[in-house]
Amino acid sequence: MAGYGFLLPWLIGFLGLTLGPMIYSLYLSFTKYNLFAAPKFVGFDNYIRMFTEDPQYMQSVQITLVYVLVGTPVKLAAALGIAMLLNYRNKGSGFFRSSFYAPSLIGASVSVAIVWRAMFSGGGPVDTSLSFFGINLGGWVGNVALVLPMMILLAVWQFGAPMVIFLAGLKQVPQELYEAAEVDGAGPFRKFRSVTLPMLSSVIFFNLLLETIHAFQVFASAYIISNGSGGPAGMTNFYTVYLYKRGFADGQMGYAAAMAWVLVIVVAIIAFILFRTSNRWVHYAGESK
Amino acid sequence: MFKSHKRRAFSVAAILMTSALALSACSGGSGAAGGDTASTYDPDEKVTLNLAFWGNDVRAAFYEEAIAAFNEEYPNITVNSSFLGFPEFWEKRQTEAAGGGLPDVMQFDYSYMRQYSENGLLLDLDPYLGNIIDTEPLSENILGIGVVDGVTTGIPTSTNAWAMYQNPKLLDQIGVEAYEGGGSWDDYAEWMQTATDAGEASGIYGGSDWGGRIQNFELQLRAEGSFLFSEDAEPGFDEADLTKFWEESAPLRDGVVIPQQRLEEVYPLAGFDTAQTVSELTWDNFGAAYLGGLGESYTELGLVAPPVTKEGAKDLYLKPSMLHTISAKTEHPEAAATLVNFLINSPEVGAIFGTSRGLPASETQLEGAKLDGLDAQIRDYEESIADRLGDAPPVPIIGAGTLEEKFRQIGTELGFGTMTVDEAVDQFFNEMDVVLNQ
Repeated sequence: MAGYGFLLPWLIGFLGLTLGPMIYSLYLSFTKYNLFAAPKFVGFDNYIRMFTEDPQYMQSVQITLVYVLVGTPVKLAAALGIAMLLNYRNKGSGFFRSSFYAPSLIGASVSVAIVWRAMFSGGGPVDTSLSFFGINLGGWVGNVALVLPMMILLAVWQFGAPMVIFLAGLKQVPQELYEAAEVDGAGPFRKFRSVTLPMLSSVIFFNLLLETIHAFQVFASAYIISNGSGGPAGMTNFYTVYLYKRGFADGQMGYAAAMAWVLVIVVAIIAFILFRTSNRWVHYAGESK
Repeated sequence: MFKSHKRRAFSVAAILMTSALALSACSGGSGAAGGDTASTYDPDEKVTLNLAFWGNDVRAAFYEEAIAAFNEEYPNITVNSSFLGFPEFWEKRQTEAAGGGLPDVMQFDYSYMRQYSENGLLLDLDPYLGNIIDTEPLSENILGIGVVDGVTTGIPTSTNAWAMYQNPKLLDQIGVEAYEGGGSWDDYAEWMQTATDAGEASGIYGGSDWGGRIQNFELQLRAEGSFLFSEDAEPGFDEADLTKFWEESAPLRDGVVIPQQRLEEVYPLAGFDTAQTVSELTWDNFGAAYLGGLGESYTELGLVAPPVTKEGAKDLYLKPSMLHTISAKTEHPEAAATLVNFLINSPEVGAIFGTSRGLPASETQLEGAKLDGLDAQIRDYEESIADRLGDAPPVPIIGAGTLEEKFRQIGTELGFGTMTVDEAVDQFFNEMDVVLNQ
């Protein structure tokens, strides 16, 4: 009884601020709700419209998937690569660790998105330096084909958080395993494949799960870089950006709530699949196999 | 290690998921219109009002000056102002409207009047008309604009009309004569082609795609005796009309107008205020903002009438470029009405804003505005188009703002060539279906 008493402050917050609104939003997803008048029940209309009558939604899903499927692996690879470099030497590693971590602290901020936009505009630093090497791409921000790669680059650049976790994981790998491998004549690549990767697999799994979920929720950078328009031609109209626009700009809250629930279900399914496959490739220290 | 990792990953996942939901979980609630009607106002009471407007730095500086002038007369009323770009302004208002926290005094757009009035979010101004808000300098027509369903909820600051701006300095630079105004849409397209060819070396274009603006479509519909939307939210056009409109503007997007990619990079500015195009079809009060965007080396603009579909058509109309409204939930309706009166009628405010909000609606404000240069041009322009002025359309339907933005977005897709005209028409009618049945 006392236990529940102590739990109460959290419980109230959970019920009132998390569970309650979630259930309400589930209800809203079956309604038409323009923020002004009372919600009107419409059954599955919102969900049907999403998958059959809204090409913009389909495009939004498509670019979000590309962003997640390309951005996340590249980002994790970059994080692991840098973490391994930093793990080699101790001299000055504190400095490098901090400076590589910095982008992920400021990366989600408004100012970086603005700087990014300026850098990749026509006549900006990126355009000018590429032109110097004879590559004339013009600005990336307004280019239908290049804006998505630019967004992925911005995400990859914020590899600091997974990198720090990888680094901690690398420090945990027992040195004697490497020594034993060396005695057996293993080269650097073989050591990476047969010692580092298996020993890190739990950390990789953790980072993969987190970064995948995180990538699905890209919002601030896209919103700022496109000035809230999701342009050019909808190429930065990521799932949450579109959801926001439908809800707040168009006043279609019911539709936006339905979109949110589809996102929750998709992310849950992906998390479930990752967990189910994880016992095939994730190795935990102390397990006997 | 295994367990804690797994649990942590789960809880983080749960947190992130719920934050996605938080976006959509806003509770409703709307306020009742009207209120206590003490129409006198206590000059000793210390009051703070929030004022919100959309615009840019130029307009923000004007408002600051206007507030300073207001405080000389009413030192007890502190005005906190804030501003955003046009789309963001309305996103924020939507959220506030749902939460019940609209700013006391707002600069308001005609296209949102119906929605906010009908939902009881705006203060009924009738008790203040003729006392706190001086109605003497405002004509019947002007006052009638802010009436929705028989209740006055807004007062127009000014009027504007659809027009064509030109940049004489750039025209000089590329050696092209200014467009004389009016003429057919083909004449205008031909002229843009000439200017684009002449400006090729310096990256200057004749104009932007008129197909991206719903106002140009409206202009053509009105010339044919039709309209965009009726009072009962019936569209005055069908798929064929829209297809024709977008097909006729298709050749423009093939190398005549400024490429969409360049526009994306300067958005929310336009090609015109970044000195990349020599002409632009827009509202006539945009001049001051254009000059502000162009910078000090540009001192004058050309202002002429847009092309006309049929000679003699009454296709243009005067509309309120913006209105002032008061939140129904304001705690200080008298003070808010005092501020609105000052912003609408004061000659000082007229002198500060000139025609940057449109041609002042109030006679006293119009007298205060020393109209020279661009301001005088705008006044002369609105006089010159008298023959083309028809009746203004009814207060825009609910969702008019959404449809206008959708039209613009589809226009950008047409510009990129990522959508065919048929797909574009399909999408717009789809959207219209949803919006009109909301």
